[in-house]
This record gives sequence, structure tokens and C-alpha cells, in this order.
Amino acid sequence: MPVFPSVEWFDAVSRSFNSDEANRNAGGGIADADVGIIYEDRVFLLNFAGYECEKASEIQRSDLEDADFYLEMHPDDWIEMLINIRQNGTADMNYTLNTLDLDSEDGLAKSATGDQYRLDKFFRFNQTIQFFFDASSDVETEFDREITPA
Amino acid sequence: MAESEEKQPTKTTPPPRRRRNLKIDHDVEVPEPGYAWMPRTLEWGVRVKPGAKGMTMQGLNVGIYGEIPDRWDEQTRMPRGAYPMAGIPPIGFALREKREVWADNAADLYEEAIQRRWIPASDIPWNTLEPLPDDVEAAMCQLCTELSQAANVEFETIGYWLQHISYGYHEVKLFLASNMFDAGRHHEAFRKRALANGGGLGIESKGEINRMILESKGGWSETSLLLHLLRGLFIQTIYRYGERFAHNPAEKVLFARALQDKARHTAYGLQHLRYAVTHKQDKALVFQQLLNIGERVFARELREPVVLEPLAVIFGGGIEGARAGMREVHHMMGDFVRSYLASTDWIGIHRGRAFPKDLSRYLEA
Repeated sequence: MPVFPSVEWFDAVSRSFNSDEANRNAGGGIADADVGIIYEDRVFLLNFAGYECEKASEIQRSDLEDADFYLEMHPDDWIEMLINIRQNGTADMNYTLNTLDLDSEDGLAKSATGDQYRLDKFFRFNQTIQFFFDASSDVETEFDREITPA
Repeated sequence: MAESEEKQPTKTTPPPRRRRNLKIDHDVEVPEPGYAWMPRTLEWGVRVKPGAKGMTMQGLNVGIYGEIPDRWDEQTRMPRGAYPMAGIPPIGFALREKREVWADNAADLYEEAIQRRWIPASDIPWNTLEPLPDDVEAAMCQLCTELSQAANVEFETIGYWLQHISYGYHEVKLFLASNMFDAGRHHEAFRKRALANGGGLGIESKGEINRMILESKGGWSETSLLLHLLRGLFIQTIYRYGERFAHNPAEKVLFARALQDKARHTAYGLQHLRYAVTHKQDKALVFQQLLNIGERVFARELREPVVLEPLAVIFGGGIEGARAGMREVHHMMGDFVRSYLASTDWIGIHRGRAFPKDLSRYLEA
């Protein structure tokens, strides 16, 4: 069972996401975005190209400049979001990425370079990134800690 | 009736098979074809192959077909790369300079718009709408009336300019056609929300900004500045908060889908405006002067209660919570102002002290 977060976990989610053609309709579709993920001191990069998440890799924080934007939350918030997705099949009303972005004091989506155009890809491809994390409901996941949902 | 008899298909006589007869009628006199058009091409033997995203418009930009001139002198509808014909009466395109319309991302944004389209009639789970308290429903209907009308202004504005853009820049024409279609979809979708849950349309604001955008005739770049940057980013921010404060999955999906479209329009606006600023010496100054006016009109119109008050009621969960809701409105306006100023910086115009206090005060939120 893959552990969140890990390249193995992101690869498993990518397989589920890439193989579901429903993610290409109704507001999904081609997306070109390099998305950073920060979980405590670990940093990952997801490369979305065309209809797929082509690659997931673990990178150094200093490499975040390669990302169009990155998503950063407290580890408990990441886990809480993924548990919510697991329970509902998709994020419910309180756990969509846009909602978490607005509910977070510092925001969820950030830019390492201050480039507003690249940061705006979070909004342009919001549903694709949402569909990606929603696809994690198909992936048996092990977490590195237990949390008490807020 | 026995079961076997029930399943008997009804026999009908199929219509006779008929195909149009393409045989040459020798009684009709046909002139001898000259085929003079056949060799008239500037570049032959082009074989564009589909890439990972299929056969894209950007992919077609090979050889002479990918040469995008700084100025397009052809005054006819001749496509870029086609063989020019003499004697065609001019159409009179006003926008013939690349810097007046161009954005490097236009072709890709067009593909994005086509591939990421959605259908309000069937992609929104309308059956999840549930009755809301009257004050909240009224606020949502008022907001949707404004959003629907803003979208209407958007497609009418682009429709005016589209005919003035010359054919040398078809990528831009295509993207703006998709922008118009998106705006039409937003007009449709928000009108549907207003009329789907026991409420109805509200009132439209006096529309000073609408009029300013519609009557902006100085140039497409100037219109894009007001449409995509100033008002576009404001609408984009409302969509974000609309998604956050949705009452049901229908509203959640509606605002989320509209947000993506709006961000795509912003992406064209940013790229084009930066291109315009970097390719014409005084463009930044022109934009500064225009925003000095536009931002103040925008701030003045915000004092009208038809947008921010309904949002306060929605955010606060009703009239009783509207005071708390207004604090959230200030947060929203703060988010708008921050993204707006970051965007003006990105295109190369720094608002600084010229930015009106009526808007900069939201930065404290």
C-alpha cells in the first residue's frame, strides 16, 4: 500500500487519473502545468501535460522555481483532505482545492517566483488538479501519522 | 397474449434504397475546366503530424504558415500563407499591427478552450439545488443577474472588435471567438441559476463600467485592459468566492467551471497587454492614464449596493449575518486588489501612488 506522500503514491494516483476518460470532459481536458507539492520538508513535482499527469518526482525545495505553482498545507490538512476524498469519492463542498485555498490563512496555491501568470494556472486548470486528487479515492493509502479530523 | 407473441417485432416495409446518381448528364454543357487555381500555393508538401495533444493550431505553424508578420498589409480575408489574389476589394481592417492584438499563447488558449469546454445544461447537477432562505436566494439571484450581464457585455464587446482584427492573426481571432462563446456560456449559466430555485432576476447595476468597456473604441489593447484585467480579475475573484460559499453542488460546479474559463481569458489579457507594452514605447503610459480613470469609475460603481451587499448576505448566510459577511467581502476585495496589482506589475505597469485609495484600502483586509 503506497504511503502518502511518496512518488509511489503519486504514480498510483496518476495511473487512476490518466486512465479515467471522464476526467477529460465537463471542464477537464488538456492541461500543461508543473505543480509542486509541499508536505513538511518533502517536496514533489507533478508534471501535467496534455490529458495526463506524465511524471511525479521528489525534488529539492530550491527546485520549486520549476513549478508553475505549488500547493502547501499543514500535513494534517493534507491527510484530512485525502480522507474526505476517500470517504466521498470526490472532495465534498468543504474540501475542494479552491475552498481550501481561500480558507487557509496563507493560501494553498503559491508561487516560488512571484510570477502571477504561472500562478494563475492554479485557476485555469483547477478542475484537472481537483480530478487528480479525487482520483486518489481509488488508491489504498497509508499515512505517516494519525490525525483527528477537525 | 402469449409471451412469444408479445416479443414479435412489428414488420414494416423499409424505404427503397436510393442513392443520388452521379453519372454525367451528357445533355448538359459543361465548360472545359482550366485548373488554373491548382498550382497557386506558396508552400506545398506540408505534412503536419498530430502531437500529444492532437492536431493543434500551434502545430500548424510550420514553414511560411508559421511566419507571423509584425504588420499585416493584406486588406482582404486572405488567410495567412495563402496565395494572394489581385483585384479583391479591401475590407478595411483597423487592426493590422501585431502589437495591437498579439499574445504568444493565443493558439494554445484556443485549444484549451475547445478541449476544456463544459455544458451548463447537463454538466451542472441542477437537481442538487434545494430551497434557500428567501434573503439568501434573493442575494444569489441578484449576484447571478450581475454576473450574467457582465458576461453579456463581454461577448458583445469582443464581437465588435473581432471584425476589425485582420486575418494575419487568426490565432487571436480564434481565441477571442472562444472567449465570446465562454462569455455566452456564463451568461446562460448564471441566468439559469437565477431562475432555477424559486427566485428570479434582480436588478442590473447602473453599469458605468459596462458602458466604459462597451464604448471603449480607442484600441483593442485598451479595451482588453479594462475587460480582461480590471473587470475580468474582479469577476474571477467573485467566481472563486462563489465556489467557496456555494450552497449546493450545483453552485459549486457552476462557479468552479466558470472560474477556469475566466482564468483563461485573463491569461490572454496578461500576455497580450505585456506584448503591447514591450512593443510600443508609450503604451505603458497610455495604460496608466486609462487605469487612472477606469479604476476610479470601478471604485465608484462598487458603492452601488447591487454587488457587494448581496455577496455579504451570501457570505454571512443571510441578512442577520451580513455584517460578518461584509468582512469576508473585504477579504475578497483584498484578494482581488492583490492579484490585480500583481498582474499590472507582470505586464509592466506599476500602479504605485496612482492606485486609488478606495481600492488600496482593501489591502489591509
